[in-house]
Amino acid sequence: MRAEARRIGLLAPAMLTIGVLLVVPLGLMAIISTLARGPSGGIIWGQHSLDAYVQFLFERDLMDRLALNTDYLRIFARSIGLAATTTALTLLIGFPTALWMAFQPPSRRTLLVFIVTVPFWTNLLVRNYAWILLLRDGGVIDWTLLKLGLTSRPIGIMYTPLATAIGLVYSFLPYMILPIYVSLEKIDRRLIEAAYDLGADRRRALFRVILPLAMPGLVGGAILVFVPGLGAFITPELLGGAKSMMVGSLIQQQFGQARNWPFGAALAFVLLALVLLALMAHALRYRRGAKPA
Amino acid sequence: MSVELPRTMRASAAEARRPAEPPTPGRAGGEAARASRGAAAEVAVDCRGLVKSFAGGAVRALDGVSVAIKANEFFTLLGPSGCGKTTLLRLIAGFETQDAGSVAVYGQLLDGLPPFRRPVNTVFQSYAVFPHLTVEENIAFGLEMQRRSRREIDARVAEMLALVKLEGMEKRKPAQLSGGQQQRVALARALATAPRVLLLDEPLSALDLKLRTDMQLELKRLQAEVGITFVFVTHDQHEALTMSDRIAVMNRGKILQIGTPEEIYERPAARFVADFIGETNLLPATRIGERRFRLASGEELETAEPGAAGEALTLAIRPERASLAPPGDPGLAGIVEQIVYEGTDTTYHVLIAGGLRLRLREQNREGSRPRVGTGERVAVALPAAAIRVLAE
Ligand SMILES: Nc1ncnc2c1ncn2[C@@H]1O[C@H](COP(=O)(O)OP(=O)(O)O)[C@@H](O)[C@H]1O
Ligand SMILES: [Mg+2]
Repeated sequence: MRAEARRIGLLAPAMLTIGVLLVVPLGLMAIISTLARGPSGGIIWGQHSLDAYVQFLFERDLMDRLALNTDYLRIFARSIGLAATTTALTLLIGFPTALWMAFQPPSRRTLLVFIVTVPFWTNLLVRNYAWILLLRDGGVIDWTLLKLGLTSRPIGIMYTPLATAIGLVYSFLPYMILPIYVSLEKIDRRLIEAAYDLGADRRRALFRVILPLAMPGLVGGAILVFVPGLGAFITPELLGGAKSMMVGSLIQQQFGQARNWPFGAALAFVLLALVLLALMAHALRYRRGAKPA
Repeated sequence: MSVELPRTMRASAAEARRPAEPPTPGRAGGEAARASRGAAAEVAVDCRGLVKSFAGGAVRALDGVSVAIKANEFFTLLGPSGCGKTTLLRLIAGFETQDAGSVAVYGQLLDGLPPFRRPVNTVFQSYAVFPHLTVEENIAFGLEMQRRSRREIDARVAEMLALVKLEGMEKRKPAQLSGGQQQRVALARALATAPRVLLLDEPLSALDLKLRTDMQLELKRLQAEVGITFVFVTHDQHEALTMSDRIAVMNRGKILQIGTPEEIYERPAARFVADFIGETNLLPATRIGERRFRLASGEELETAEPGAAGEALTLAIRPERASLAPPGDPGLAGIVEQIVYEGTDTTYHVLIAGGLRLRLREQNREGSRPRVGTGERVAVALPAAAIRVLAE
């Protein structure tokens, strides 16, 4: 009984933090998404409506009939595609980088980890504006290519999904490198030596021993990049332009210019549900994989 | 995608780009550089003048080591921690590159070959069993690297499982095994590809005493069964004496003596060897004749052989080879300081002239009891044939 009380006492601060910072806002959002929209933003308390969720998939035509509207689905698909691309690219760049870092002498490794985290020291907005300077027509990249004679016209990357992808890969790369690096650094070097000893060349030691042992880091990095990438707002807004709207911008718009709070909250909830489903699917697969055959 | 290797592998990595050579054990490479060392058929591992320094020369781990290990022998490297045993194994396996000297296995020079092209396998001190693979996947690893057929692999894995008595555990992960079982997996994994030489780095040091004694016998049995040359590293002299065909005693990066367990124990060639293997009484002495020596106390001793050259020497005698005699008998006069009953034996600590202490050991037989008490005067008889003359 005493132990039980003690357990609850020790858990209380964590529970309180999670409660105040997570459950309360989420609950609030859930409620807002099921209320009627106020005439000039906000909501009308007490007037329930599921209009927001209907609006996600359907629109009312002139006869007030419901017709399927894939505009919002397309924005979701585009966001998922971009987040997936970003994850794949950061994996492709991040894994070799982390591998190289993990096999440096220990003293140099500390410095390298520090260098990887340097971008965190500058505000995300500032870093995105820096990319604008690089990518825009007549920007640093354009100018260099023109001077080198590699192109005669501005290449026009700015305000395309490519610009967003470049910006996202840049911003999220450390979130991929660090977990992979940590799992690679933990690998017992004798396991790699054992692989060589048994006749594995470098490629097979990589695929048969190093990669499987680094899997937790790869999965962790992928989650850390994919999930925030899905809801990214600043980078698509600044680099992607209006033609390729993302979920993050859409939600922000509903709370801002569109003055449709219930719809914004509903969009956020659909996004959350998608992320949770993806994570649960992964957890299930992982647990099944870890079980002894 | 460029992949960086651990530092220790880098030297060999350059070699990996050479045209492939058949990794088949025993087939010496065709190139002139890999020329065979002539008719050295019965020598399995031939190390010559190996030197290896670490930390930019600050640590000399190996200081000119030469040793010829014979085919199918159980050869042990014995020495205190830090004497260079692991370094020697790593040079043979190819994990490190020597500063000078050469390594040949069955006449094939291995210098510059990466580990995955050497006909030797290693059992690591910490097992280094792959944690993400099952027991059978671990054992199959080397065979898969050799691209053997599935049928061949399955048959060989089953054979290995039986050899190390792990049948029924093939689907388990290493985390579900005890230390001793993991040890067996490491052994089976290394033996599966039938390497010509197996290197074992203190494979038993992490096991508890009972398991260790069992595994000592097991390893001996295995070695006899598979007929592979074993190069076994240990810092445990008892283990070395009971398991080995021959032993190399190492200290500070040098081999001090190579011999059978009996030679090493009975006729140590150096003071360090006498002291490290078993118990020994060491007496400083000066030579006064070819086989006569004078101790600091002025007493004189006769030996059976002249032993090491020089004037100032050390006489070594095992506690069980000296015996107690009544005072006045030939030998060194002394006083019994302490009597320690040890079950099978009794050890007497005797103070002799010059302030030196000798240990004598007598086996306890039925009905025997200490013939003397503490404080009594005795003579310590030292048979001439039992005294070794060693350089200071
Ligand atoms: N990678 C290394 N870097 C620096 N010093 C090392 C390294 N490996 C071994 N040494 C040093 O070389 C000496 C011999 O080491 P080792 O061969 O491991 O001894 P043993 O196996 O006999 O205990 C020790 O002094 C050790 O500190
Ligand atoms: Mg060692």
